[in-house]
Amino acid sequence: MRLVRRSTPECRACQGGQPRSMRSTILGVSAVPKLSLRNVSKNFHTKTGKFNAIQDLNLEVKAGEFICIVGPSGCGKSTVLNIIAGLERPDEGVASLNGKPIRGPGRDRLVIFQELALFPWLTAIKNVEFGLRMAGVAKREREERAMHFLKMVHLTRFRHSYIHELSGGMKQRVALARALAIDPEILLMDEPFAALDAQTRDILHEELQEIWATTRKTIIFVTHNVREAACLGDRVLVFSTHPGRIKKEFQIESLRPRHLEDPNLIVYAKTILAELKVEVEKVAQEELDYDWRTGQKRPVLHPGDHHLGSGI
Amino acid sequence: MIITWEVASELSLWPSFLFPSPVEVLQTLVQGFSDKTFVLGIAASLRRILIGYFISVFAGVLLGLAIGRNRFLKETVGSLILGLQTLPSVCWLPLALLWFGLNDSAMVFVVIMGAMLSITIATETGIRNVPPLLLRAGRNMGAGGVQLLLEVAIPAALPSIISGMKQGWSFAWRSLMAGELLYGSVGLGNLLMVGRELNEMSQVLAVMLIIVLIGLCVDHLVFAILEGKMRRRWGLETG
Repeated sequence: MRLVRRSTPECRACQGGQPRSMRSTILGVSAVPKLSLRNVSKNFHTKTGKFNAIQDLNLEVKAGEFICIVGPSGCGKSTVLNIIAGLERPDEGVASLNGKPIRGPGRDRLVIFQELALFPWLTAIKNVEFGLRMAGVAKREREERAMHFLKMVHLTRFRHSYIHELSGGMKQRVALARALAIDPEILLMDEPFAALDAQTRDILHEELQEIWATTRKTIIFVTHNVREAACLGDRVLVFSTHPGRIKKEFQIESLRPRHLEDPNLIVYAKTILAELKVEVEKVAQEELDYDWRTGQKRPVLHPGDHHLGSGI
Repeated sequence: MIITWEVASELSLWPSFLFPSPVEVLQTLVQGFSDKTFVLGIAASLRRILIGYFISVFAGVLLGLAIGRNRFLKETVGSLILGLQTLPSVCWLPLALLWFGLNDSAMVFVVIMGAMLSITIATETGIRNVPPLLLRAGRNMGAGGVQLLLEVAIPAALPSIISGMKQGWSFAWRSLMAGELLYGSVGLGNLLMVGRELNEMSQVLAVMLIIVLIGLCVDHLVFAILEGKMRRRWGLETG
């Protein structure tokens, strides 16, 4: 209450006729992050024993932010997404959206899986409509909204095609439209572009930034590609492995739309990569034979048929 | 083929009552249809199989869904069903006759026991093999409980369910014929037996021909179309 009394005159004026509960939410907007994970831990039980996927993870995401997560394989990146999506429950700690703890899956947090998980028995537009149908939206509105988002990803011509008739990039667009149609607050993307060819990926990078700018969605994007992370993210989080937690955070300051080849992004990518490399090598050390080393000075590698003038 | 058959019967290598010519078989067919004995037989058999088969599909799919979703049911009812499937369905006939008496219900029961189990098993396998990712995506988009089952699990399991239904149909057809041969009132199986008793080979062949034709028709008209449509949608075959 004291805070209210001290506030500016305009603000006091606007609070005049409102009930107390509303006042506190207005003040709370900037204080409560869109998404927060506090001391989140998650273990998996395998045959060899307990496996610590994430330990004591703390993360706050502001509304409209574009976060990229990079890390070596098996560092719990996907687990973080699943916890936020409510598809998995943390063993300890709390994940909350708008200050409310996450209790299960919901339409406000949509995952785009790496394998896309489009339904092969539905056409492109029916796939986009799926979430709306589940929400009980009437047929006409459903079709209108589906068309709107298919237009956004430039795929209206193929709306009646079945999934297997589409190329990798087109499937990606359907998945994106399907997620956007549900109008989630947060988009969770799990290495969505990993299987695409480089050119298609470049195009989608550009369009994703455009869609992000127009829809103002909060996006959490998991990838193993450091340059992709630097290109897309406002912030890039580097995950460490065993246990998975945030090792370092990079703020990327560069004008959008960004491209993979932007020179300053390459500088960012280099520093992020240096951080990540340590972790990747840690994983390699665990997975490979004991005689595996890295960082040794290797002589210049060349095929053996260079005589360097010895035959003269 | 038919010409060879005709020539072979003209050569009368075998007595004609054991090896009738196609013309004779055709005559029997025409006569059977005109004096309505074949028509009545076909109608009676089709009625039994349709009733039995639809009950089998309904019950089989429901049972398969329940077993596929519930571990406890799988370990109890599921293993019972696997065991029962080794039993040829005609073996249920004595039981059915005692329970229902010598009437249509007994035949329908035998049909159900023939078709339902394979439909149940196919449905259960289908449900169990639905990619977990699709279920996750469905849950993520707000489908839960019954909705998830109807909108994601069943469509995803449909290829397996349809092949189970196809197999179920052929089991149902065989069970019915076996049942009717043994204890039939009016019906195709019964017509076969009458043919045997009267030493009328041409009737036996004519009825066999009808049985094959009905089987082929259902296979080609119903299941082939259903399956083809589904396979094209999923992109399981090109063209």
